[in-house]
Amino acid sequence: MNNDLIIEGLTKQFVTSNSVAIADVNITVKEGTFTTLLGPSGCGKSTTLNCVAGLEQPTAGSIRVGDFVMTDTARDLILPPEQRHLGMVFQSYALWPHMKVFDNVAFALKLQKRPSDEIKQRVQESLALVGLEELADRYPFQLSGGQQQRVALARAVVSRPKVLLLDEPLSNLDAKIRESARIWLRGLQQQLGITTVYVTHDQSEAFAMSDMIAVMSMGKLQQYAPPEEIYERPANRFVAEFIGVTSFITGILQNVDGKKATLKLASGELLNIRKENKSDYVWKEGEQTAVAIRSERVEVLTEGASERENTVKAQITTRTYLGSKWQYTVETSGGSLRLESTDAIQGDSLFMYLPPDSIILLAG
Amino acid sequence: MTTVEQNLRPIATTRPKFSWDSGVQWLVVIVTALLVAFPAWPIILQSFMSKPLYEENRAFTFDNYTNLLGNARFWDVLVYTAAFAVATTIIAVIIGIVLAVIINRTNIPLRNLYSNLVTIPYYVSPLVLAFAWMQMYGPQGFGTILVRTLKLPIWQLYSFGGIVIVSAMYYIPYTFLYATSSLALADPQLESAARIGGASPFRTIWSVTIPLLRPAITYSALLTLVSSFELLSIPLVLGNSVGIDTLATYLYVIGVVGVNKDQGAVAAVAVLVVILVTGLVYMQSKLVSLERRFVTVGGKATRPKAIDLGGWKGIVSLFVGLYVLLGIILPLGCIVLTSFVPFLSPFMNPLKMLTLENYQGIFGSPAYRQSVVNSINISIFAAAIGIVFMAVAALIAYRSTFKYRNAVKYMALYPRAFPGIIVGIGFLWAFLLVPGLGSLRNTIIAISIAFIMRYLPLGFSAVSPAVLQVSDELDRAGRVAGATWLGTIRHILLPILKPALVSGYILLAISFLKEYSTALFLVAEGSRVIGTTMLELWKQGGAEPVAALSTIQMAITAVLIIGARKLMGVKLHE
Ligand SMILES: Nc1ncnc2c1ncn2[C@@H]1O[C@H](COP(=O)(O)OP(=O)(O)O)[C@@H](O)[C@H]1O
Ligand SMILES: [Mg+2]
Repeated sequence: MNNDLIIEGLTKQFVTSNSVAIADVNITVKEGTFTTLLGPSGCGKSTTLNCVAGLEQPTAGSIRVGDFVMTDTARDLILPPEQRHLGMVFQSYALWPHMKVFDNVAFALKLQKRPSDEIKQRVQESLALVGLEELADRYPFQLSGGQQQRVALARAVVSRPKVLLLDEPLSNLDAKIRESARIWLRGLQQQLGITTVYVTHDQSEAFAMSDMIAVMSMGKLQQYAPPEEIYERPANRFVAEFIGVTSFITGILQNVDGKKATLKLASGELLNIRKENKSDYVWKEGEQTAVAIRSERVEVLTEGASERENTVKAQITTRTYLGSKWQYTVETSGGSLRLESTDAIQGDSLFMYLPPDSIILLAG
Repeated sequence: MTTVEQNLRPIATTRPKFSWDSGVQWLVVIVTALLVAFPAWPIILQSFMSKPLYEENRAFTFDNYTNLLGNARFWDVLVYTAAFAVATTIIAVIIGIVLAVIINRTNIPLRNLYSNLVTIPYYVSPLVLAFAWMQMYGPQGFGTILVRTLKLPIWQLYSFGGIVIVSAMYYIPYTFLYATSSLALADPQLESAARIGGASPFRTIWSVTIPLLRPAITYSALLTLVSSFELLSIPLVLGNSVGIDTLATYLYVIGVVGVNKDQGAVAAVAVLVVILVTGLVYMQSKLVSLERRFVTVGGKATRPKAIDLGGWKGIVSLFVGLYVLLGIILPLGCIVLTSFVPFLSPFMNPLKMLTLENYQGIFGSPAYRQSVVNSINISIFAAAIGIVFMAVAALIAYRSTFKYRNAVKYMALYPRAFPGIIVGIGFLWAFLLVPGLGSLRNTIIAISIAFIMRYLPLGFSAVSPAVLQVSDELDRAGRVAGATWLGTIRHILLPILKPALVSGYILLAISFLKEYSTALFLVAEGSRVIGTTMLELWKQGGAEPVAALSTIQMAITAVLIIGARKLMGVKLHE
């Protein structure tokens, strides 16, 4: 029996607001994998997660783990959170201030009326898992932020839930521990093999940890794919702009030929572009079109090799020193671009090479 | 690698039919609705009836209203009450704000002592305050006689001005407490900035501190206006002998002591008063939510630096001291002293006549003793039941997904519009009309229910801020960990809210101990409370037994407050 988490047609409209918080979200999280809901603040990530937890009641949709149906509005079924057997970590960690670490972790097991030696053993196991077995007798306020976050995780997994939900659990940590916490958390998830849904607005977190990323915007799921695909083949303009540093160049499509075409810039410069298999964009000869380019993929040519294909001349408008590299804003005849280089470029203009497979033609 | 435990739960197919969570939520919403509707319906019904509700062949009529509105006396009383309420509010708010600013923000000597002393009237029944002022400044008062023998100009306490001043004394602590907590939240850097900018201390207070208090001023002004509008005791005790009536005393006179009680008229007055007060309360909630926009950033941990009054600080301190001494300490001291002497007179040294006979008189009479015992029982038990109920109502309103959670909130706050005396009338009629309930009047159950209804808003608003301060992620975490809504309340919210609940409990217990107006109509042979007995003794003209009861009431209150502070470290106000 597989225990995938399946979210279908999830829609939530708050009574107090007139727009929908999330609309028709469909996500399948394969058993044992790590999915991240990624998107700007207010796009509906927490609402989605809370619907899975049973903390919000969706207007429509169904949610199940394998064949354990937790929500199905068509059947008027919405299980309360306590009957879902999930683990959850909150942004504020939500450790109960009046309970010691041990009691925080033991709470779920006590509610299940487990024998006390089993409780003790499992709490110890859980705390050992997060490396805090020494701190069982402390109160939450006696712990550092990083320790609190780990207790929250121990508490979430102690009853061995099938699904673990995390809502921006690292956002309250210092930038320094955040990166190591990321690696640690992903390691733990793989060790436990627990199906995980993780919410963040931080794309580097999402890329570092996830098997799958669900990019959301304004309550809608924009793309659901593995990290590489999200990065290399964004499904639409929103995803392309939201992920990484993306610029757009405008020109006119020429020589359309199945999977290839040429984009002619106002200056007459030509760019060869390729069509993505997945993109449903319809090529039209002679049409004014904007293509997306990943800044990181642009190569600055130090020598004027203007003979090479896909080379464009540009005027430098701003230069910013970032420590390890330089960032430039440049102006081409198809629009402005941001690009990075480890070289300090002299002069007002440069040539740059845009690899054909770094140019993405987007619908929408 | 740890394997994930198989989920052995059966696949749920339908929504669970009954849960304790929704059972309790329904119970609380129904009980709240009943508490509010129970005293309201007989009054509304009676106001349209030609004869008392318990009589046969009564008919529907508008006469009660037309008679009342055509009655010149009613209009006089209404105008008088409005004038009284407005004057009381203006004086109480001005003095309350001035005291709050001086005591909290300047460096006058003795400010810490003053900050405790000025709140005393908050904990004392207005009935006791009225008796205390009467003992001290009434026509036969200790202070009055003293001044008269010194051939100084004399005052008349039994007058509009006298009633307004004593009532203002009672309400000043309300403004003081709201303004104090508001000042604690306001950013003291605003004042520092004004001083650095070259403003004098008084200028700083006038143009920076006072404007910061606008929300507190609006709120306490409307609160004082509503409460003084329905205040019974002070106008009754001080105005009765000279024929002054406010709406509350008018109701009392035509409903309780009048010769031929006209129930239709009582009901019509009650309905009109409730409509009026509802309007005021509505205005209050609208204005207060508007004023919230002016609240400045809160939560500064630093203690604000006091504004230095320089050479003025001695004089200002002296004035505050005189206010505390003349307005609070002397009258209350006078009533305590009265309770220990056969009679109090400036011409005889009271210390030579000390006696316990007033107390023996109280405790020797089964009826009087019972009223003390009843009051204590109501304070302890009814307040405990009340605060738990009000806390659960607040948790439903702010921490549940219950369909009618907003209804719970509005219903719990609505009794603000019911003056105590009207709550009493409503419950009396309802208990008499519903078969089988009449006998409850002889026990403290009827009075306890009425008190709980009357103080629903107080308990609800005492607990709500604490509930709203607890992050809702804490209860969400409890739910996800497997606790039901009730389980989350029991294991997580109640323990965290314990300090707020204890201080809410003490506040409710003190209010129940002070309360008398709700009991006036409802009281029966077996259900006397301290307040009703005091009024009874006062009508018989016994100043000394009244003083003894007042002292007993203040002593119990002091025990409650000090006990809460010492044993549980709970402060009733920040
Ligand atoms: N309790 C609520 N009532 C009304 N609107 C809400 C509520 N909670 C969230 N929203 C709205 O729903 C949208 C999605 O919110 P949320 O899921 O919290 O976003 P995210 O977690 O992605 O930042 C936002 O527009 C927010 O204003
Ligand atoms: Mg969120």
